[in-house]
Amino acid sequence: MAESWIKVADEGALSDGRALPVYPRGLGMLLVRAGGAVYAIANRCAHMACPLEGGACEAFIITCPCHDWRFDVRTGAFVEAPEIAVPTYPVRVTDGEVFVHL
Amino acid sequence: MGHEARKGALRDFYTPLVAAMGYKFTPDDELADFLLEQEAALEETKGAPYCPCQVRTREREHDMTIVCPCIPFHRAHFDAMRRCWCGLFVHQDVTDPDSLPQIPASELGIRE
Amino acid sequence: MSDPIFVYALSTCPWCHKAKKYFEDKGVVFEAVDIDLLPDDESDRLAAEAFELSGSRAYPVVRIGGEVIVGFLPERFDQLLEAEA
Ligand code: FES
Repeated sequence: MAESWIKVADEGALSDGRALPVYPRGLGMLLVRAGGAVYAIANRCAHMACPLEGGACEAFIITCPCHDWRFDVRTGAFVEAPEIAVPTYPVRVTDGEVFVHL
Repeated sequence: MGHEARKGALRDFYTPLVAAMGYKFTPDDELADFLLEQEAALEETKGAPYCPCQVRTREREHDMTIVCPCIPFHRAHFDAMRRCWCGLFVHQDVTDPDSLPQIPASELGIRE
Repeated sequence: MSDPIFVYALSTCPWCHKAKKYFEDKGVVFEAVDIDLLPDDESDRLAAEAFELSGSRAYPVVRIGGEVIVGFLPERFDQLLEAEA
């Protein structure tokens, strides 16, 4: 499938401190609004694959609900060991609509 | 025994994680199998595959730092020993894990 | 003769097993407790005691005479047993 920008949500559906699960082409990811921007991160922990959904979001950090591994939504990096990361996806917000690049 | 499938799954989860940090499973298969068995049992009864060689306090903030692989939370200590405390993981270039003794964190001037 | 040898151990920890086996093989009198097999309150009490002595939550924690050793360190055990003898 060709790479493209896919609309995943309206910006109004996002709120700081709460990740929004979306499923472009069936791929589970989370939209997180932080610091005035929107980030998309895979909804699958790098540790043991728990969904990150439901984990606490504080500023740029999302904490996995299973064993508290913390990830920076800007890069996907695991805070304690940045050589481990979850995938992130480019995001564009246009006219109140959120797109991710796949 | 009896956790064969889960032990395999834990091994699959851990392998790329520890590789990214410069570690691998110990070549001592018997030790690895024993430790994974303990972890699978701990996961079943206590809710997470905790390090079999560290004690839980039942305070989440502490206990989550000893969920396997706990290398990220004890990096300086384990890097100095070239193995993790229980010996499930060793630095990638280690071929003789028996040559690596445990070194108490306090002796390395590291706070646990 | 100072306090008896005491091994704070976990049943899940191979290094704890090795430490107990070490003292068994030496034929010395020692006491050992797998604290993970005790009821929570008793387990917490001993874990707190071991932490107080050693600053460690890594096991085994071994008390020999006036010394506290964290880990399975047979050479160190040897030295301390000799000092005691
Ligand atoms: S699965 Fe996310 S921290 Fe363990």
